[in-house]
Amino acid sequence: MSYVAKPGGASSTKRAPKPSLLSREGLHIFLARWRHSGFAYVFNILLTVVIALTIWSLISSLITNPGRYLPSPFVVALSSVDVFYKGLLPAYYGNTLTRLVLGSILGLSLGVPFGLLLGLNRTVSDMFYPIMNFFQSVSGIAIFPIIMIWWGNSEKTVFIVILYTCFFPIAFNALSGVRGVPLTYVNAALTLGASPFQVVKDVLLPGAMPNIATGTRLGIGFAWRAVIAGEMLVGREGLGWMIFTARSADLTAQIILGMVTIGVTWIILDHYLLRPFERSTIEKWGLVLR
Amino acid sequence: MSAKLIVQGLTHHYPDEYTGETVHALDAIDLKVEEGELVTVVGPSGCGKSTLLNILAGLLPYEAGAVSVDGVPIRGPGSDRGVVFQEHAILPWRTVTRNIGHGLEIKNVPKHVREPKVQAFVDLVGLTGFEGKYPHELSGGMKQRCAVARTLCADPAIMLMDEPFAAVDAQTRITLQEELNRIAIATKKTIMFITHSVDEAAFLGDRCFVFSARPGKIKTIVDIDIPRERRNWNDMNADSVFLAARARILKLVREEVADVVEE
Repeated sequence: MSYVAKPGGASSTKRAPKPSLLSREGLHIFLARWRHSGFAYVFNILLTVVIALTIWSLISSLITNPGRYLPSPFVVALSSVDVFYKGLLPAYYGNTLTRLVLGSILGLSLGVPFGLLLGLNRTVSDMFYPIMNFFQSVSGIAIFPIIMIWWGNSEKTVFIVILYTCFFPIAFNALSGVRGVPLTYVNAALTLGASPFQVVKDVLLPGAMPNIATGTRLGIGFAWRAVIAGEMLVGREGLGWMIFTARSADLTAQIILGMVTIGVTWIILDHYLLRPFERSTIEKWGLVLR
Repeated sequence: MSAKLIVQGLTHHYPDEYTGETVHALDAIDLKVEEGELVTVVGPSGCGKSTLLNILAGLLPYEAGAVSVDGVPIRGPGSDRGVVFQEHAILPWRTVTRNIGHGLEIKNVPKHVREPKVQAFVDLVGLTGFEGKYPHELSGGMKQRCAVARTLCADPAIMLMDEPFAAVDAQTRITLQEELNRIAIATKKTIMFITHSVDEAAFLGDRCFVFSARPGKIKTIVDIDIPRERRNWNDMNADSVFLAARARILKLVREEVADVVEE
């Protein structure tokens, strides 16, 4: 005997008539459906953006000489047409993204295995834990001066700093992730006949994934800041450089355009790269609650 | 019948992690488990029954004595001795099917051979329809069914169970006990089952080893001569053999607990 109602069966004829939208219940049903539709989500975000832009425009229209202090969104948009047309923004954007992507990929592919390896042995990981914690707290911008003494105003300097900022949070988090994997999981795999390599692959790596995800998010986030700062300090062509030079030319609209580009890029990165990765791993496995 | 597992003179002392004082966990244990037999081990907390299981699993080294499965001495963990742990031991990042098939995956059994075997064990433990679920989507009882299936699927010579049903609710526990009995009939596995529960020990065991308090020793072996096919909770509650065995085990265990309290 099945309890599932069949279409056209007895239960469907018994269903109450659809309440009118004007009734109290009808309104509640409408609101509940609206809240859970994807449309409401997009609408709310758009609403926030519109409000922010309105406040921005308002302030811009109230101050004297907005062109120098705070150009309106419209003026910023116009300036973007200009830098796009000249090919400046696409070229600089390309430079900056290339640095970020290469630095992050290298940082991940070195940081994760390094952290995992250190985490394998309790004594070794105890020894390295404070050192890794130390380096993940010394920000990229703080090591710039010494790197510049070593390698000068070069592309190498920018790249080393990006790699540094990205590597340590990733390695440190992978290390603490491995330390946190319950011993029972390891024992379970061992009693199924797993080799040390299989334990790493099937137990420690996925078990450390919540921390690796955190480390990745922090590492790439820090790297994104380091790229911009690095370009300014070292003077390499890119988004950071564009903002920096726009200041001396009094191109405030271009500065704001650069800032907006930085922020929007991160949102896109987060939405299309980091979140899907987290959703398909740690959230699907029930290791984090969201 | 031949002895599957032989333990002779097994002694285990270890220094306490904090105080450094010697803890006498096991003292000259001798026991044999016959092929196809299900033995239960009961005893007061800290009597070394979990230590014994960890040694048999190869997860703990032992100091003196001899332990062998099918005549092969135990050195480290191996797939000939499957373990069902107390709880939280199936991997959260693997679905039911991939957890159950993990042992075969480790042995590099090809997918087309693995899949029908895994499905058979999914069906055996009653997880049909939940193949693609992750552990956090399962109830406590289902997780332990999955753990039992995972161990069985790797086809160990002996299955060691460390209080596997201790963390589930009372109703589920009774069901799981009956299901394990059914599985024991179906697979004819040699099983060593460690528990706190006297009911569980008497219901499941062909023989029950009652441990004394620390240092762990086998105090008495209680035979429970009831055919597996007859073992279900409806009948056992009125079965004189079962009731007598349970009363005897309970008395033996309580003597130990009383001793500990008096110290």
